[in-house]
Amino acid sequence: MDNEKTLSSLSRLMFALNLAIILFYSLACLITTLRVCGSFGAYDFLSSAGRIPPPPWRMPLWALGQYLLLCAVSFGKNRWDIERFQVRLLVCLVEILLCAGVTASLGFYYSGAALLVLADLVHYVRNGAARACFTAALILLFSFGRYEILYPLTGGIAFSAYLDYYNQTVRSLFAGVESLLVCLNVLLFVLFMILLFTGQKAENSRIRKLNKQLNQANDRLRDYAFELERMTEVRERNRLAREIHDTLGHTLTGIIMGSDAGLALFDAAPEEAKKRIQVVAQAARDGLNDVRRSIKALRPDALENTSLEEALEAMITNFKATTSAEVLYDQQAGPLHFAQDEEDTLYRVLQESMTNAVRHGHATEIRIRLTRRESLLTIDVRDNGLGSGEEPQEGFGLRHMRERLELLGGSLTFGNREALDGDGERGFYIVVSLPIRGKEEEA
Amino acid sequence: MRRRLGIAALAAALLAGGLLWGLEARREPVLTVGVYAGSYWQTPNGDCYQILDDAIALFQEAHPGVRVEYVSGIPTDAYSEWLAEQILKGTEPDLFFVLPEDFNLLASSGALAELDGLMASDPDFDADGYYGPCLRAGRFGGKQYALPQESVPTIMFVNKTLLESRGIPLPDNCWTWEDFYDICARVTDLDSRTFGVYGYTWQNALYANGTGLFSEDGTACYLADERVQAAVRFARSLGNLNGGYTVTARDFDLGRVAFRPFLFSEYRAYQPYPWRVRKYSGFAWDCVCMPAGPKGDNVSELHTMLLGVGARSKNRELAWELAKLLSWDETIQSRLYTYSHGISPVRRVAENAGALAAPDLPGGFSSEVIREIMSTAVTAPRFERSAQAMMMAESAVAEAGDQDQRMLIAQREINVFLNQ
Repeated sequence: MDNEKTLSSLSRLMFALNLAIILFYSLACLITTLRVCGSFGAYDFLSSAGRIPPPPWRMPLWALGQYLLLCAVSFGKNRWDIERFQVRLLVCLVEILLCAGVTASLGFYYSGAALLVLADLVHYVRNGAARACFTAALILLFSFGRYEILYPLTGGIAFSAYLDYYNQTVRSLFAGVESLLVCLNVLLFVLFMILLFTGQKAENSRIRKLNKQLNQANDRLRDYAFELERMTEVRERNRLAREIHDTLGHTLTGIIMGSDAGLALFDAAPEEAKKRIQVVAQAARDGLNDVRRSIKALRPDALENTSLEEALEAMITNFKATTSAEVLYDQQAGPLHFAQDEEDTLYRVLQESMTNAVRHGHATEIRIRLTRRESLLTIDVRDNGLGSGEEPQEGFGLRHMRERLELLGGSLTFGNREALDGDGERGFYIVVSLPIRGKEEEA
Repeated sequence: MRRRLGIAALAAALLAGGLLWGLEARREPVLTVGVYAGSYWQTPNGDCYQILDDAIALFQEAHPGVRVEYVSGIPTDAYSEWLAEQILKGTEPDLFFVLPEDFNLLASSGALAELDGLMASDPDFDADGYYGPCLRAGRFGGKQYALPQESVPTIMFVNKTLLESRGIPLPDNCWTWEDFYDICARVTDLDSRTFGVYGYTWQNALYANGTGLFSEDGTACYLADERVQAAVRFARSLGNLNGGYTVTARDFDLGRVAFRPFLFSEYRAYQPYPWRVRKYSGFAWDCVCMPAGPKGDNVSELHTMLLGVGARSKNRELAWELAKLLSWDETIQSRLYTYSHGISPVRRVAENAGALAAPDLPGGFSSEVIREIMSTAVTAPRFERSAQAMMMAESAVAEAGDQDQRMLIAQREINVFLNQ
């Protein structure tokens, strides 16, 4: 911000200096012409110059007029923010043309106004190509917009022809002032450019630093998420262990003890034994109810109140939103109404395979296809991630999935997509087959 | 709000500018003419603006609504400076007289408009109607920049009384250097202080010997050329007749010199009454062509007053019309015989027997002689360094004596100077 302020005051200083330079040249020519005419030196002047100069009023009028217009355009464009790119380019073009006009009006004695406009436009235009074009045009104007180079084309007379009217002292004075003003202009230009580029460099490095910090924060967040997941897993396991211990362990212990007692009484007191076994059977039934209750407590929340179909869609939408991976979900299996344990398994299998694809494979695109042929439901999940090396190792997640599926008579195959025929792409695939029992078979 | 104000201000400025421009365009055109007072030809001239005034009157008849203005009272010797000042200030006239010595500077510096296009497109105009040398005086770099208005050749004054007293007949218009030298030798008598010629230098002899000192474009000097050297030797041999005495203008005025080169304008000015009484009243005199050298003809040097149109003139067409009137129109050109002392550059005017036979004109020059002089005359090239180069040549000739080697060195030096 501070840099911007310095740049803007430097720019103003350059505008003021160029005004002074233009005044210097045009007044020098005007006053010299009037003095020459007043001292009967016109014929000699014309003979030594060898060309007719433009009318003396023209240089101050045209050069100053165009210069003031140039100032107005330059300050105007910084004041009113122009949105459209084409309009911005047009304004820059107008500035360059006015600059060329000023230089031409000054008889090409001075082309330093090009530096002023160059500084102004480099600051204003951020588009690389446009900037390069403008810079080339202005440098061309600055380098070749000289009387010494252009006089065969443009005519007019050299500035030195005006100075020749004066004696050596005055000539030196004029030359000194001219040199001072022109050098000052170049100096200001160089200073402006240095400040401009160091400012831009500082800003760039600041942005790079912020970016790095953001990346670090992202990494930490990801680690934290994994940590949280692991902790949740552990807690869940503990709860499961407790649950098994409290319900199944308790019931089974009761069943063992009851059936042992039944066995012991079987011969001595068959009636008693029968009673005992009836108790054991009741206990086993109660235990089963307890287990069911526990399993119900473990059901995914999503499936508790909604259908599998809705739950899957919600999960995928949610997954897309949280991981930014693209999920292409193709459901060709008709209505998804299965037994509760089947629904749970399907839900968990899909959840696990999607999570694996992003977590281990760093996939950005996952294709899920559900098909059903008679009672066999097939789920095909493919991603474009890293795959799993040469020999796919069955990790905990995959083993868990297989176990769940095998409990329901299903199967699981997986591997790298490269290994699949006719599919040369990288990534991982999982194919799940599950024979559907139908709701009526539900235990 | 501010933006709207800015747009309104811009629109107002544009409107005002357009209005001013429109008013300016509707104003009746004013044609300005640059003209000097008096005569350029060193002769008295009472009605120096008469020809211009007549031309303006004719012009305004043809172009009603056009105003023509000129500044009067600028003396001839200040005219060049005045014109240069106007050019520097950017206020030069649309049409101006161009003195012979200023033409090259004005044409090369771009002050004069090129006239070739206007000349070619004007059906009333025919460049062949001018004497070639007169029209060529307005050419620069192969282009026509000015029209001739009045020409004056150099001719030879003859003291008839002196010749008659020695029993020598007046030379005719085809005489040669030999005749000239012969007469001078016979006239010269150091005891009675009579001499052959006053003011005849090698430069006068150059053109009659078929050469000039400089090339047309002013980049080469021919000082060591044989024909130039012959002219130098001839002038020197004439000088040697005087036995070391330097003849002065006073000797001529007193009637003691037989010949003197003169401008045709002086002949015209002093021959008729009443001016005849004021000068050279002690003897009878007349004029003949310049004597011809062995390699040349009876060629004179020609001075031509020119008319140029300003290159920055906004009324170029009108200025051309007026220039054409002044330079080409028979009526206006005929007035030269009444109000000035030169010869018209237009053939049909210059050779018109009626004009030549005006009451106070002597019959010395027939139209044939005029045609001869005017069609063969040579305009000395005038370029930026011509005056200085001429001075260098003069001093070289004065110092060199008979040494050709010195002339070659001088020629090389002048060439170097010209091409700097």
